Amino acid sequence: MSQLQARFFTENKKYAIDDVPFSIPAASEVADLSNVINKLLEARIADHKHVEFDFLVRGQFLRSSLASHMDTENISTEEVVEIEYVQKFTAPQPEECIMHDDWISSVEADSEWILTGSYDKTARIWSLEGKAVMTMAGHTDVVKDVAWVKRDGLSSLLLTASLDQTVLLWEWNSEQNKVKARHCCRGHAGSVDTIVVDPSRTKFCSGSWDKMLKIWSAVPTEEEDEVEEPNRPRKKQKTEQLGLTRTPLMTLSGHNEAVSAVLWTDAEELCSASWDHTIRLWDVETGEQKSMLTGSKVFNCISYSPLCRRLASGSTDRHVRLWDPRSKDGSLVLLSLTSHTGWVTAVRWSPSNQHQLVSGSFDNIVKLWDIRSCKAPLYDLAAHEDRVLCADWTDSGLILSGGADNKLYTYRYSAYVSDAGA
Amino acid sequence: KPLLSISIEIMDVELGYSLQPVSLIALLPHAHFLLHSLSPSSCLAMCSQDIRNTVGNIPMEWYKDYPHIGYDLDGKKIFKPIRTKDELDEFLDKMENPDYWRTVHNKMTGTDLRLSDEQVDLVHRLQQGKFGDVNFNEYEPAIDFFSSEVMIHPVTNRPEDKRSFIPSLIEKEKVGKLVHAIKMGWIKPRRPKETAPKYYDLWAQEDLNTVLGRHKMHIPAPKMRLPGHEESYNPPPEYLLTEEEKLAWEQQDPEDRRVSFLPQKYSCLRAVPAFSRFIHERFERCLDLYLCPRQRKMRVNVNPEDLIPKLPKPKDLQPFPTTQSLVYRGHTSLVRSISVSPSGQWLVSGSDDCTVRFWEVSTARCLKTVEVSGAVKSVAWSPNPAVCLVAISYGETIVLLNPGLGDKFICSATDQLISSYEEPEESKEQSVQWTIAEGSDHEHGQRLILKHPKAVRQVTWHGKGDYLACVMPDDNSSLQVVIHQVSKRRTQNPFRKSKGMVQCVSFHPIRPYFFVATQRYVRVYNLIKQELTKKLMANCKWISSMAVHPGGDNVICGSYDCRLAWFDLDLSTKPYKMLRHHKKALRGVAYHKHYPLFASGSDDGSVIVCHGMVYNDLLQNPLIVPVKVLKGHTITHDLGVLDVAFHPSQPWVFSSGADGTVRLFT
Repeated sequence: MSQLQARFFTENKKYAIDDVPFSIPAASEVADLSNVINKLLEARIADHKHVEFDFLVRGQFLRSSLASHMDTENISTEEVVEIEYVQKFTAPQPEECIMHDDWISSVEADSEWILTGSYDKTARIWSLEGKAVMTMAGHTDVVKDVAWVKRDGLSSLLLTASLDQTVLLWEWNSEQNKVKARHCCRGHAGSVDTIVVDPSRTKFCSGSWDKMLKIWSAVPTEEEDEVEEPNRPRKKQKTEQLGLTRTPLMTLSGHNEAVSAVLWTDAEELCSASWDHTIRLWDVETGEQKSMLTGSKVFNCISYSPLCRRLASGSTDRHVRLWDPRSKDGSLVLLSLTSHTGWVTAVRWSPSNQHQLVSGSFDNIVKLWDIRSCKAPLYDLAAHEDRVLCADWTDSGLILSGGADNKLYTYRYSAYVSDAGA
Repeated sequence: KPLLSISIEIMDVELGYSLQPVSLIALLPHAHFLLHSLSPSSCLAMCSQDIRNTVGNIPMEWYKDYPHIGYDLDGKKIFKPIRTKDELDEFLDKMENPDYWRTVHNKMTGTDLRLSDEQVDLVHRLQQGKFGDVNFNEYEPAIDFFSSEVMIHPVTNRPEDKRSFIPSLIEKEKVGKLVHAIKMGWIKPRRPKETAPKYYDLWAQEDLNTVLGRHKMHIPAPKMRLPGHEESYNPPPEYLLTEEEKLAWEQQDPEDRRVSFLPQKYSCLRAVPAFSRFIHERFERCLDLYLCPRQRKMRVNVNPEDLIPKLPKPKDLQPFPTTQSLVYRGHTSLVRSISVSPSGQWLVSGSDDCTVRFWEVSTARCLKTVEVSGAVKSVAWSPNPAVCLVAISYGETIVLLNPGLGDKFICSATDQLISSYEEPEESKEQSVQWTIAEGSDHEHGQRLILKHPKAVRQVTWHGKGDYLACVMPDDNSSLQVVIHQVSKRRTQNPFRKSKGMVQCVSFHPIRPYFFVATQRYVRVYNLIKQELTKKLMANCKWISSMAVHPGGDNVICGSYDCRLAWFDLDLSTKPYKMLRHHKKALRGVAYHKHYPLFASGSDDGSVIVCHGMVYNDLLQNPLIVPVKVLKGHTITHDLGVLDVAFHPSQPWVFSSGADGTVRLFT
């Protein structure tokens, strides 16, 4: 078998070629196929510049020679092979390396500012260029998670969760560059490991080591909630206090172990991952558990893509697993992406591409995946010198990762823009 | 009638004398034949001569002395005939009278009577047992009256009776009685006859298998090898030995030689000399017969694979730790002891660099470092989740430390609990000094300091978190193990006598038992009854570590001679299983709280995780399957892994090593 009948197609009109089958060598690889397409395009379009393409056979990226790929995927070589080609994703370009004083536990960025939480008990705001703008010190222990709540104009609301069992709601005025702790959310009996703000930006949910999920209001008020803690001396509490005390609107209990990650799949539904090997979906209105996905390992992180409606989870083994949260039978692993060699501590779907996600692991590497090629990632971002603890992907195409080497790396990933058809 | 009787008497008289051998009784049945045979004339003649004697059948001797011998019918005396004959006359008569032989003497009448020819003939016939009558044919042809042939005329033409057609009432009654008797059991039905032949089977008891076995076990005498070309007087030249071969043959030991003789060639059979080794050969043959095996060895052909018990595959026994996930770096010297908080969030490690470090399990972040004034020998996190206390032993001191990790409320409650202690009125003199930490020690979290008289090697908590046992190894002192009660700040010395150097101690997780491991034995004490319950023989040279199964019925002991002994306390005081997986001395063993796992750490730098399933069913023995060898620690100063501990809720194992790291395997 030396020749194969193949038909090429693409969704990008710019690079469309004639819809006729070609006979191509079976041993040809991606570079060879890319040359073929470029030759064809040169014949069609006069001012064509060389473009690197990537090829998909039945929804799977071609990573080896065509013959061996079809052999492993059990595709018949007798028929005409349908090969889709897309412009090759360019590698993410490293932009900034922001040094911190201590490990970076969490990162969240929007189009202008980067918010990081660190093990030096502070949270920091950085500009995209890596300039430190603001430091929020108020926690008595390690900051475990951070989140932007809202940005209207110059004042922003943001949240920091800490090992000292509190979540602080800060108000930051970017013009005056002043920050003020508005509320101190008390109620958890363990370290608050994860916080997430709901799509309406009025509530947020926190998950803690004490196995509880608590939903809080994210709207700053001037009133203090009544706290019933008779054992705590009043005086001491006052001195500790930073901002007004706030109590949870609702508590969701059901996990048997620490909650490690939480997110809103939509305005009414909450999803939480835990060390008890389960991912649970909750109805926020009633506070009831809706369904449960059971894995075999501790979950460290989850991410949800509204584009493809898939849940990605990272656990204490080396796989990134994809789940369908709507499946009723609960534990369906659609796909597992295997390339890491350590615990996967961060996963984040691309906000704009339904096939792409980024994952960070204890093996010091951040990997960029396309779920159409689950054996190997698109790119390895091996900049970190120690464990990767957090990762983020902004709407503007910025990939961020922070780790135990005190460095926050940012990458500009623009390939999806050119790949507009996908 | 009278006539007949007379004739019989005559007969008696006539025969009685002459025919001695013929008895009267023998003659009686023939009497009437005799009568018939006698002609009527002769009979009458006899009668006429006869003078009837009426004395009857009496012995005639009675009349011996009388002149008469009886009486006739008229009652007149019958006189004896005048007998003049004497013996001589008698003899002469005998000699001369030709009829003497046929003359009989009649005693009744005393006369002599000469028998006629007919009478003599009759007597002869009777003597021969023949019929008296000559004309009587005793073998006349018999006429069958009832013959087998059916005659046209029946024997009787009488019609059958009516009653022969009617069942008999009497019979019915009799049968009814019999049936009733049988029913009532009065009559037993006849036992069926035993048809089995009655003889004694000598071999009946013999087992068929033994017979077969005997046949099978028969060993024929070894056969002699048949002579081949070599033994020939004229062997083919290739069988003849060359000079070198001959030399070699001579130098060999007789038992090493391939053949016991030298093949030799002779021109003809006539030239062959007498066989010189005949006696030898016969002797060897006798030895062969005598020494040949008489018993067939039953060699057991067992595949060694079959002897290995069928253990489940490790991959079916998931989950268990398989890979190294995190390394907790920070200590600068060997880490002697580790302990995980009951929540599973924190890890404490004590090192020879005189520090105690607190780590966040999930990120390997060192959150807190406490410096003490000596190499830390042992750390133990209180198993009570309602308090936050860590016991640390270094030198002669145990420090109870509140690390301030976890729930703030619990931490402050712990501090309150310790500060709220009130000294009892009468304070006893104790061997251990309890002091409250103050100043900078308090700042670092130290709360209570216990000064011991000797160096403390191990601390361990009771499951409820109030009692704390510590080991001060000393070869011949009674004060080796003390138990502290934290809430009352009291110290007890449970043992009065030293039973050897104590290596480690442990509390039973549920019952009030206390395990004390000395060099070779593990003693189980009942703390309530204050008595020795069991003494486990570890069968190894020096126990280094011990762990008690959370169920409490199983104990594992690691020893310095590379062995791990699993005791099933319900089974025996000897190890249920000895595992020799490690190459070097074991330093630490641990059980998982929930998963059926146990781990052992050794000087060879590896941690071996085994599946150790304990069944609730008492009949089923624990299942022990080694599942994973975890390597990661580098060996420094010939020391590898020093302690192992399991995560309380996940199937993860921590190990601390001499290389100053703590590693997490998941």
